[in-house]
Amino acid sequence: MTSAVTAPGALGTQVKSGWRLTPRTGVSVLRAEVGKGLTTQLAHPIAHIVTLVFTATVYLGLQYVIGQGTIQHDLLPQTLVGISGYWLLQFASMVMVADLVEEKRGGTFAQTQLTPAPLWLIMTGRLITASVMGVVVAVVATLVPMLVTGTTIPLKWAALVPYSMVLINVLAFTFMLAAFALSSPMIGVLQSLLTSMVILLNGAVMPLSLFPTWLAVVARLLPTTMGVEATSKVLFKDESLGDIWSDGTLPWLIAYTVALALLGWYVFVRNHRKALRDGRLGQY
Amino acid sequence: MARTDVVGDIERSGRPAEVPAIEISGLTKVYGASETKAVDNVSLSVPPGTVFGFLGPNGAGKTTTIKILAGLLSATSGQVRLNGLDVARQRAAAMEQFGAVLEGSRNTYWTLSAMQNLVYFGRLQGMRTSEARSRAEELLRDLDLWDRRDEKVGGYSRGMQQKVAVAASLIADPPIVLLDEPTIGLDVEATRTVKDWIRTLSKDRGKTILLTTHQMDVVEELCDRVAVIRRGQVVTDLPTDQLLARSRQRDKYEIRIDGTGDGLVLPEGFTAVSGEETTLISGRLEDPQDLYPVVDRLREYGAVIEWMAQVQPDLEDVFLDLIREPAR
Repeated sequence: MTSAVTAPGALGTQVKSGWRLTPRTGVSVLRAEVGKGLTTQLAHPIAHIVTLVFTATVYLGLQYVIGQGTIQHDLLPQTLVGISGYWLLQFASMVMVADLVEEKRGGTFAQTQLTPAPLWLIMTGRLITASVMGVVVAVVATLVPMLVTGTTIPLKWAALVPYSMVLINVLAFTFMLAAFALSSPMIGVLQSLLTSMVILLNGAVMPLSLFPTWLAVVARLLPTTMGVEATSKVLFKDESLGDIWSDGTLPWLIAYTVALALLGWYVFVRNHRKALRDGRLGQY
Repeated sequence: MARTDVVGDIERSGRPAEVPAIEISGLTKVYGASETKAVDNVSLSVPPGTVFGFLGPNGAGKTTTIKILAGLLSATSGQVRLNGLDVARQRAAAMEQFGAVLEGSRNTYWTLSAMQNLVYFGRLQGMRTSEARSRAEELLRDLDLWDRRDEKVGGYSRGMQQKVAVAASLIADPPIVLLDEPTIGLDVEATRTVKDWIRTLSKDRGKTILLTTHQMDVVEELCDRVAVIRRGQVVTDLPTDQLLARSRQRDKYEIRIDGTGDGLVLPEGFTAVSGEETTLISGRLEDPQDLYPVVDRLREYGAVIEWMAQVQPDLEDVFLDLIREPAR
C-alpha cells in the first residue's frame, strides 16, 4: 500500500514512502507483468497460428523426406518430444527476447524502470509469461501432429521430471538471451540462429541416437537436447529415473541447467550494470 | 525582488530554504572511453511546487541529465536526489517520488487499453488493483478518455495517446512529474488540455514539474523557473520573469526592407531573413540611439525601409542568445 507522508523538515514537500518488496507487492507486480505479457501476446493470435501451422507443416514435411516418401511412424513419438522442446524455446524466446527488444525500442521497457519494482522482479514476471505461453503452445503443437498422424505417446509420470528440466532449461537459456538483449540490440540474430539449430539438432528431426557421435556431442550443448534425450529414455526405452541418474543423463542435465541458470544470472547482473552505464535500457 | 547572485558561470536566485524536490549536485557523465563530457558538473535545485523548465539545444546534455534523474543511466560522478532520496542508492524510494512522460517513446502499451495500461503501471507502483482502477477512473474522466477506456491505445489519436501517457505518469499520484516534450505533435486543443493540466498539477495539487520542451511559448506560459544547459553545462538558472527582464534590458528591433538584401553587410548583432520580395532584419540594441547607424547603413545600401518596429523580446530570443553566446 502506498501512502503519502511529509518528510521531517521538508516544508511543503510531499514525500511518498510506502513501497517495500513484500510477498504481497511482489506477487502484485508478478501478476501485473504476467497479465500484461499474456494480453500483449494474445493481441495478435493470427500471427501465432500461422507460425504454428507453418512449422508443423515443415516438421511433417521433414519426416516425410527422412522417411524417403513415407512418414516413419516409429520415429514420430520421439521426434514429437523434440519438437515440443523446440516450441517451448521458440515461444519463451518470443516473450523473453523479441518482446523485450521491441519494448526497448518502443520505450515501454524504460517506463517500467520508472517504478519502484526492481528489474529482476519484472523479468521474473516475464519468465512466468514465457512458461505459460511456451507450455500451452508446446502441448497444442504436439497434440495436433499426433492427431493428424495417429501417433500415441505413452503417459509416464516419471517423464515429467526430465521434461520439467527441459522447461527450466529453456527458461534459463532465454533469461540469458534476455540479459544479453539488455545491452545488445543485435541479440535477435543470435536468437534466430540458435533456435534454428535447436529444431535441427535437439531430436525434433530425428532421434539423437541416429546422429554421428561428434554431432550428438555438439547437439547436447544446445538447450533442450539433453532434456529431450532424458525424457525419451523414460518414455520409450522403459528406463526409470534411477536408470537415467545412474547412466549420467539426469546429473548432466541438472548440471547443465544449473550452469545455464547461473550464467544467465551473471549475464543479467553484468549487462544491467552495463546498460545503466551506457544508457541502453531504452531508446529514450 | 528575489536575490540574484552569480556563481561561476551559473546565475542563481530566489532559493527557498527547504528540501528541494529535485536536487542535482556536481553531476558529470562521460560515455565510454571518450573524454567528452555529455554532462559536466551540473548542479540544480528545484523547490517543491515549482514548474521548472529545463532547456537546451539538441546534444546539450539535457537528455543525459534526464536519464540519470530517471535512474535509466548511471552518473560518472555527482548525485541526484528526489525529495532528498538518492536515485542511485535509494532507487525504489526515489522512483516512488516520480512519474514521467518521456519524449519520443510510446510510454504506454499500444496493445493494451487505456484502463489496462493505467492499472498495470499502478500495480508496478505497489497499488492494489481496486485502488489503481479507482485512480485510473478519476484520471481518465479528467482527461475525457473515460468513454474509450477499453479501446486499445494503439488505435487512439496522437493526442489521446499522450493523454494516456500523462495519466500513467500520475497513476500513483507522485509528487514530482517529469514531462519531456509533453506537447510535441499535439493539436491546438490537446496542447491546451496538457497545458491546463500542468498548471492544475502545479498550482492546485502542489506537484513539482520538470518540463523540457523546445516550444518557448509553453515555457513562458507555464514555468516559474528556467535552466538552460549548453555543452553539458548549466549556463542559466533563473526565475522566468527575471530571465525575461534581464533580456529586456536590450530592446529588439525589426526592420523590413524591400528586396532580398543580397550584398548587404549587416551591423554586428543583426541577422536577416530573406523572403521572395522582402528581407526582415532584426537585432538587439541597448541604446535606441544606436538605431541611427543601422538605418544609415541601410540607406547607403540603397534599401527601401518598408516597416520598422521595436519588439519586446520573448523567451525564444533569450534562449537563442544564451545558446549562441560564445563558450566561456
